[in-house]
Amino acid sequence: MRYSLRDALRKYRWQFSGMVAWTIQRVTGLLLLAYLFLHVHTVSRLSQGPAAFDRAMATFHSAFFKLLEIGLLGVVVLHASNGIRITLVDLGIGVGRQRHLFWIVTVGAGLLVFLAGAIPLFLFAIGKAG
Amino acid sequence: MMSRNALEWYFQRITGALLLVLLAAHFWVEHFMTAPLRRGDLTFAVIASRISNPAWQAIDIAFLIVALFHGLSGLRNIILDYGRLGKRAAGAMTAALISIGAVWAWWGIAAFRRL
Amino acid sequence: MECQVTLRVARHPAQDGKRFSEYRVSLEERMTVLDALFRAQREMDGSLGFRCSCRVGMCGSCAVNINRIPRLACTTLVRNLKSDVVTVEPLPHYQVVKDVAVSLAPFFEQWRRARPAFRPRNAGASTLALIGKDSRFRQLAPAKRDCITCGACYAACSITGMNPRYLGPAAINKAFLRLLDPRDAGGEDRLKILDRSLDGVWRCHTQFNCTAVCPRGIDLTDSIVRIKRALLRPGRLFPS
Repeated sequence: MRYSLRDALRKYRWQFSGMVAWTIQRVTGLLLLAYLFLHVHTVSRLSQGPAAFDRAMATFHSAFFKLLEIGLLGVVVLHASNGIRITLVDLGIGVGRQRHLFWIVTVGAGLLVFLAGAIPLFLFAIGKAG
Repeated sequence: MMSRNALEWYFQRITGALLLVLLAAHFWVEHFMTAPLRRGDLTFAVIASRISNPAWQAIDIAFLIVALFHGLSGLRNIILDYGRLGKRAAGAMTAALISIGAVWAWWGIAAFRRL
Repeated sequence: MECQVTLRVARHPAQDGKRFSEYRVSLEERMTVLDALFRAQREMDGSLGFRCSCRVGMCGSCAVNINRIPRLACTTLVRNLKSDVVTVEPLPHYQVVKDVAVSLAPFFEQWRRARPAFRPRNAGASTLALIGKDSRFRQLAPAKRDCITCGACYAACSITGMNPRYLGPAAINKAFLRLLDPRDAGGEDRLKILDRSLDGVWRCHTQFNCTAVCPRGIDLTDSIVRIKRALLRPGRLFPS
């Protein structure tokens, strides 16, 4: 049987928190691996000496990259908070109440940590703090 | 004999927990702590002064290796999930990911050689 | 109170080029989706195909996707769906036989691979085996042995969808029950299959889709996670 993209999307049950959590973990994980590549690429400029490195870093001083930095924090925090949820499940903690676990650990704790980090970063970015 | 798959599953959790600590420290040091960093002036000189401490070098290198294990092991699991590989192909894929990880790690470590 | 719902039923093969047939069905108190399907078939369209047997939720024949969630048609009250449109589709990840009836062949293929049959440790025993009140078997098995092989978990899991070789939740749960049983001797064999990296328990990523849809309320994810943990400490598997 041939599936259209719509069918393929319909196959997944987005109304289930565990399904959403799994998708989040997969997408953020791949994003972070791609970021690690870019990060090592940037850091490897250190070996080209101070001038080359500082020139490379100047690119990242724009507002656009400051926003991306906040986005990166979001991706990291989501992957981490959801990772904690997965580890708790693996340890047998909260297996019977996985919906609560998703909302409290992945969403709740994740959002708190993200805001705690993102607000100062935003203030630094617009020059109101630091 | 302990299951190799179980061990990998276990290490994925251990490295995840380690990354939680290391990343929190990394974000704090690189993005929040010192005044020039807050303004975004992450210059060669700032990094060089930190990296000159061998403890920091060790932490950064360990960080990279742990992150690479966690990330590439995760990627391996994603590839296995699709069930398109046979036993041999899966072994070759694992070997390829280990090689990529080794080159990647060396790429990062080599960045410190001029500091 | 008389009201009507629209029953949208997937058709295979397509009817007059349409993949769905729609029926206006008058709704009665405590009417199940299966009742609605019967009403549509008997009063409006005799060509409508679906499968059922016991009609009381114990045989597992009538699992279908109802409003995109795998459920038993015979235990799902139309009223509880809180929707004017009830969409019935075949379970995903299976070959459709006709309309919303699927072949559960892949499900039972995996079921067989998990070595579901009991293999007595002491076949010639003349006395009954005693299973202690505190044994893991007594503690865990009652909540795990209710499977009616309806195939809903296999349809809900997205890993079985992309990897047909994956054992799937029900087969793993069955193997788990046998592993727990102190009278069973097939543990080593089963663990070898469960531990396979390509299609064993390691393909489970705790989505809980299976647990969410199981009409018998079996915590399938819990069974899978327990096997993972057991594989981490070999030699101490489920002491009774």
